[in-house]
Amino acid sequence: MQPDRQQQQQGIDVAVLVSIGRHPTTGRARRAEQDARGLELALAMEAELPGTRISVLHAGPQADDSESALRGYLGMGLESMTLLEQPAGSDAILSLVEHLAATSPQLVITGARAERGEGSGLLPYALAEHLGWPLVNSLASIEKVENGVVTLLQALPRGQRRRLKVRLPAIISVDEAAPAARQSAFGPARRATFAVTPTTPEADSELAQWQLALARKRPKRLKIVKAASARDRFKAAAAKSEGKGGQVLTDVTPEQGAEAIYKLLKEEEVLR
Amino acid sequence: MRLPKSLMAFSLGVFLITLPTVGLLPQGLLEGGSSWLLALVLAGVVAWGLGEMFFGMTWGGPMKHAFAGALHLAFHRRAERFSTKKGGAGRSTGLKALNLEDEAAPLGVEKPADFTWNQLLGFDACVQCGRCEAVCPAFAAGQPLNPKKLIQDMVVGMAGGSDAAYAGSPYPGKPVGEHAGSPHGPIVALQGKALVDADTLWSCTTCRACVEECPMMIEHVDAIVDMRRHLTLERGKTPNKGAEVLDNLIATDNPGGFDPGSRLNWAADLNLPLMADLKQVDVLLWLGDGAFDMRNQRTLRALVKVLRAAEVDFAVLGTEERDSGDVARRLGDEATFQSLAKRNIATLAKYRFLQIVTCDPHSFHVLGNEYGELGGDYQVRHHSTFIAELYEAGRLAFAPWKGGSVTYHDPCYLGRYNGEYEAPRNVLKALGIEVKEMERSGYRSRCCGGGGGAPITDIPGERRIPDMRMNDVKESGAELVAVGCPQCTAMLEGVVDASAEVRDIAELVADALVERPAGDASDGPRRPAATTTAEEVTV
Repeated sequence: MQPDRQQQQQGIDVAVLVSIGRHPTTGRARRAEQDARGLELALAMEAELPGTRISVLHAGPQADDSESALRGYLGMGLESMTLLEQPAGSDAILSLVEHLAATSPQLVITGARAERGEGSGLLPYALAEHLGWPLVNSLASIEKVENGVVTLLQALPRGQRRRLKVRLPAIISVDEAAPAARQSAFGPARRATFAVTPTTPEADSELAQWQLALARKRPKRLKIVKAASARDRFKAAAAKSEGKGGQVLTDVTPEQGAEAIYKLLKEEEVLR
Repeated sequence: MRLPKSLMAFSLGVFLITLPTVGLLPQGLLEGGSSWLLALVLAGVVAWGLGEMFFGMTWGGPMKHAFAGALHLAFHRRAERFSTKKGGAGRSTGLKALNLEDEAAPLGVEKPADFTWNQLLGFDACVQCGRCEAVCPAFAAGQPLNPKKLIQDMVVGMAGGSDAAYAGSPYPGKPVGEHAGSPHGPIVALQGKALVDADTLWSCTTCRACVEECPMMIEHVDAIVDMRRHLTLERGKTPNKGAEVLDNLIATDNPGGFDPGSRLNWAADLNLPLMADLKQVDVLLWLGDGAFDMRNQRTLRALVKVLRAAEVDFAVLGTEERDSGDVARRLGDEATFQSLAKRNIATLAKYRFLQIVTCDPHSFHVLGNEYGELGGDYQVRHHSTFIAELYEAGRLAFAPWKGGSVTYHDPCYLGRYNGEYEAPRNVLKALGIEVKEMERSGYRSRCCGGGGGAPITDIPGERRIPDMRMNDVKESGAELVAVGCPQCTAMLEGVVDASAEVRDIAELVADALVERPAGDASDGPRRPAATTTAEEVTV
């Protein structure tokens, strides 16, 4: 990076939204993988762009179990975290929107999908809708911030990257394409503090109506490789399995589209 | 060479002062102005000589080592090491626990001044004899560690300055003169260079060869782990796979990140008795994390076969067992160690057993020597010790050995850490094996390279430590090397193109098992064997 360019770059306010994760094998509370990657992005940005201020937000109840998981984020080198206190089962979106609108950070970083609860991955979209900010998903890296415009590298499927320029304020969501999170250290995690902000919680009425059940493991389609040479076998292993018999629907009515999807789900025995 | 001169000055000065009292001086010399001058000169000479005695310890000469050494030995951090008791009682190898309750207490050692005063005395006591350097496996492998230089670096750090004056062998690959520090400056720099580099600290396999060898009883390994604690607990900078392993230990209670519920999958067909069902047994068989490793599962199966042949009343914790915390502690993560240890102690407190038997010397050491400080006191035995006892009690009978020549590799955590050199050799002798000792064996055994989290932090060197150890085996001419540790098995079996086979003692014993001679009264309290083979007793 040239020095003259650094002149133009200025630190910005970054808010990182973190949730309580769930270890895939043991189900124990932990720092969520994607949220931790989001925080890692923010910390890397802070190191490169002096003047960047990071605030970490979590909306949820205050409990011992969740505290130890949240301290996992603090151990990455933070002094404090804002806890928007609300009882379990409340809608996090509203209190987050309220807080973000009040504090007006320029960049909001969040994981793509929570490891607990609904895990629908809709939170970034809901936030973007409420705040009216642009959203970039699947972020690989933040390249530079100049005059209120951030240059981002977005990850696309199969290793492709797309460079985007986005006007701030913006929301970006992070998945496995972002760099892995640094180790969380015990000492800083223990010393860090929580700034507890009470919110006016609103019960998640939609969630209350839902029936939750443990997910079944989806059966994996067997990949039968009939290859004569090592080269063919390698190509087969490296290639993404191409869908067969699919069709591209263009200019169809929503009803026709829904019907096509319904038919496919029946064929695949997702719906019975 | 200041000391001989000052000692000579002192003795000459005193000699001259005493001359008048014995009347050997010519009359008149002590009269007049010259006598005062002479008296002043003599007093000065004597003061210099005395100064060497009293202040010389801070001048950095031999008297420093003499004073610091004497004080270090008098106020040694492990006074137990001076015990005259025979056997294992005179050793003290468990790491000291950190106080995690007190939030103000420092987590490990960041600056030279953070070491305890008796540790600092130990560094000053070093006479740079170089015996630690000669036995250090990491140094021999060309990894950037030299225990002698490390201790001298701590001395330099306490005095403040650079290591440019160090005349011995540097850390491999790191020339002297590039590092400098001060008593209140960091030992490992956040960026750039300070007193030592982090990879120096992570090269150590915690084999304690340097500690065993040191004539001044300096505790190198404690100092290294203290500094690692700071790197892990305060900075979150455990290198390479360290962070992943620690995360796995926190989330799944085992370093591999395996489902804790699958800890007993290897024994699905063995119908192992569980502590949860029996509540009270003679022997609790501690499986260790080797239960997830297919190679070690063979050892465990062999050990179960031996225990059943000897009709031992035993049970396992099964899925209630967790990692002992050994790796976490050596990687400096005292918090995870204490968390694992406390939960293991709570689990063990639910059951009644006379002793714990394990085939993992690392678990053996941690359960036996390091849980005590956290409130868990157990009678722990390594499987080789236990098998030797069973044999002596006449509960096992072996077919004569038909294989080739055999050598034995002492695991560091069994030998140097716990003083058990005899039992494995007794078992091999009972099998009819005459052990061809390697040049470095017993308390001078060379590490396999698998301890202290070294395979996880994986600091590159010029050679691999297990390759050097297998070369030792080759030089002994043995066709088979008997081991007693899952780490040693993994490290030594990982050697490409090895000249010898690697077998655990439990496997050798299980292969040699024969039916006990029925009604043989001459051979101890042997009970008649009920059924034909050992395996059928249990099915």
